[in-house]
Amino acid sequence: MSQATATALWVLPLLAAWLWRPRQVVSPCGWMLLIAFGALGAWALWFGLYAPGGEPVSFEFWKPTVLYWTLAAITVMAPVLGFGYPAKIILGAYFAFSNREWRWINRGVAVVFTISGGANLLVASGASYKDWVGFKFACMMNLLIIVLFRLNFVWLPILADVFIHLYRRTSAAYRYLSRLF
Amino acid sequence: MPSAERKPEIVELIWPGHRCEKVTLEATGKSGGAGEIYSIDGKPGFVAKIYHAATAQAHLARYRHKIEWMVDNKPALPPVPADYRDIVQLAWPEALILRQSRFIGFAMQKIAFDRTLELDYLLNRRQAAQEGFDADYGKLVTVSFNLASIIHCLHQRRIAIVDLKPMNVKVYKAELYVSILDCDGFHIDTDEFSADAPQVTPEYLAPEFQDKAVAYPESQDRFALAAIIFRLLNYGIHPFTGVASGHHNYPQELAGRIKQGLYPYRKIAHKGLRKVPASVHEAFPDSLRDLFDRAFASSGYSRPSAREWAGALETYASKHSGQMSMCDQGHLRFSGRPCPTCMRDALIHGAEVRRRSFLARVQTAPVRTLKYLKKTLRQTHSSPFQAALAQAQQFNLVQLAPPAPISTRNAIALEILWIIGLAVAYWWTK
Repeated sequence: MSQATATALWVLPLLAAWLWRPRQVVSPCGWMLLIAFGALGAWALWFGLYAPGGEPVSFEFWKPTVLYWTLAAITVMAPVLGFGYPAKIILGAYFAFSNREWRWINRGVAVVFTISGGANLLVASGASYKDWVGFKFACMMNLLIIVLFRLNFVWLPILADVFIHLYRRTSAAYRYLSRLF
Repeated sequence: MPSAERKPEIVELIWPGHRCEKVTLEATGKSGGAGEIYSIDGKPGFVAKIYHAATAQAHLARYRHKIEWMVDNKPALPPVPADYRDIVQLAWPEALILRQSRFIGFAMQKIAFDRTLELDYLLNRRQAAQEGFDADYGKLVTVSFNLASIIHCLHQRRIAIVDLKPMNVKVYKAELYVSILDCDGFHIDTDEFSADAPQVTPEYLAPEFQDKAVAYPESQDRFALAAIIFRLLNYGIHPFTGVASGHHNYPQELAGRIKQGLYPYRKIAHKGLRKVPASVHEAFPDSLRDLFDRAFASSGYSRPSAREWAGALETYASKHSGQMSMCDQGHLRFSGRPCPTCMRDALIHGAEVRRRSFLARVQTAPVRTLKYLKKTLRQTHSSPFQAALAQAQQFNLVQLAPPAPISTRNAIALEILWIIGLAVAYWWTK
C-alpha cells in the first residue's frame, strides 16, 4: 500500500467526520474523549503507517492498559472537574436516568476499565505471549458489546429515520409527478 | 358372483337332543373372517353362520367338536325382564348345520341390527348420536354393568372370550343390554371339554400376553373388560394413550405401551407420562379409579374380576342408589364428583376458543402489519422507554424527562465519530 493510499484511508473518514460534524454543543467530557481518541489514533497512525517498527517493543504489552486506563482516568476525572459523565456518551443518550444513577453507572464503567487495564498487565507479565494475545482479544469483546448496543439502540433508529425521510421524499415526488401527468 | 345372488340351498339343522330339521338358507351378503351369514327360511329369529368353503377339513372338525359342545351347554345368562325376552345377549350356537351329512356351520339367534349398534360407536358421542343413541353417563355405566355381568356369567362356566373388543359387542339402543358376537371363537376349559381361542387384538391384550400365547384367558378378559369400560367412560380414550414427558423410549403403538405398563391415568401420577388433556378420568369415583389402577397398573393376579366390576358398577347403574346425580347443567355425573360432561365441554370449548383466536390473529395479520408499517412511517409508535416509564410510575419511582431529541443529521455525525473511535480503539489494541 502506497503512502498516498494510506493517507487517503484516514484523511477521507476525518474529512467526512468534519463535514458531518455535529451541529450541537459538545459536552466537555465529549471533548476529553475526542482528544484522547485523537491522540491514540495519531499514535497508531504514525507508527502503523509512517514509522513502522519505531514503537518501543515492550510498549506493545502496555497498549491495551494505556487505552483502558486513559478511559478510566477520563471517566473518573470528568465528573470531578464538572465536565459531566462520559458513561452518558458511551451508553448513548437514549436512557432516561437521574444524575445520581448516571454517577453510579460512570463509576461502574471506571472500575471495569481500571480492572481491565490491570488484568492486562498481570496476564502480560505472567502468561505466555500466545495466552496474552488470546486475553487481549477476549477483552476486545467490550468493543463488540458497545457495537451491538449502539447498533440496537442508535444505528437502527437512525436507519429507520433515514428510511422515513426517503419515503416522505418519494411520496412527495410521486405526488409531484402525478400532478404533471 | 355376489353371495346375495346365490341360489338358496337346503341344509339340515341338528338341534340339541339330535332333533333334525331341513331348512333353506338364503345368503345375506354379510361375511366375516371365518364364515358367511345366511338367513334361515321359516325361522326369522335365527341366522346361520356357514364357514368359508376354503376352511381346512381339520379346522372344520375342530369347529364341529366345539360347536357340538356349545349347543349342548349354553351358559345361564343374567336374567332379563319379561318384556325383553327377544333380547339376545350371546350369539351362542343353537344348532349344528350339516350339508349332505357334512358339518358346515351353526345356527344362532338373530340379533336385531336395527335395534342395536356396535359398542365401538359409543366411544364417540357424535357417532352414537348419529346412530340414534343419546349417550349419558347413566347409560354408559349401565352398558358397562351389563357387559361385566355377561362376562361374569361366562367366567363362572370357565368360558372366556379372549378376543374381547368393542367391535365384537352390540348394544341395544333402548334397553341398554349388550350382545356378544363371535361366540364360536371363545376359549372353553371345562372338565369334560376344552377349546382354545387363537384370535387376539393387541390393543386389548394384557401386558403379560403381548407377543405370547394367552395362558390365562380369564385374566385376559379382565384386562379387556377394564379397557372397554375405561374407554366407554372416558370418551373413547384408551387407557394406554398418553403423552410422554421425558420417557425416552415411548412406543408409538398401543401394544408396546401396554407391554411396558405405561398407564398415565392412575391415582399416583406416572413419572415421565402425562394424561391426554381431554381425559375426564378425574371425574370418576375413587372406587372405579382403584379398579382401573388395579387393572392396568398392577400385575395380572390382582386385576379386578368381571364380578368385581359388576358389583362396583351396579350401584351407579341403579337409579335408586342415588350414586348418580344431575349437575347444574343437567348432565348425569357420579355424585360428589365433578361433572365429566361439563369437564369435557370446557376442555373442548377452551380448545375451540384458542383455535378461533389463533385463526382471528392469522386473518387480521395483514391489517395489523399495515397498521404497524404506517405507525413506523408516521413515527407514531409508542416508545418502549415511555412504556417503561409508565411501568415505573406504578411503583412510585421518580419520573424523568426523556433525553432531548437530536436531529437525524446530528445523530449521524455523532455516530461517524463513534465509528472512528471504535476503529481507533481496535487498531490501538490489536
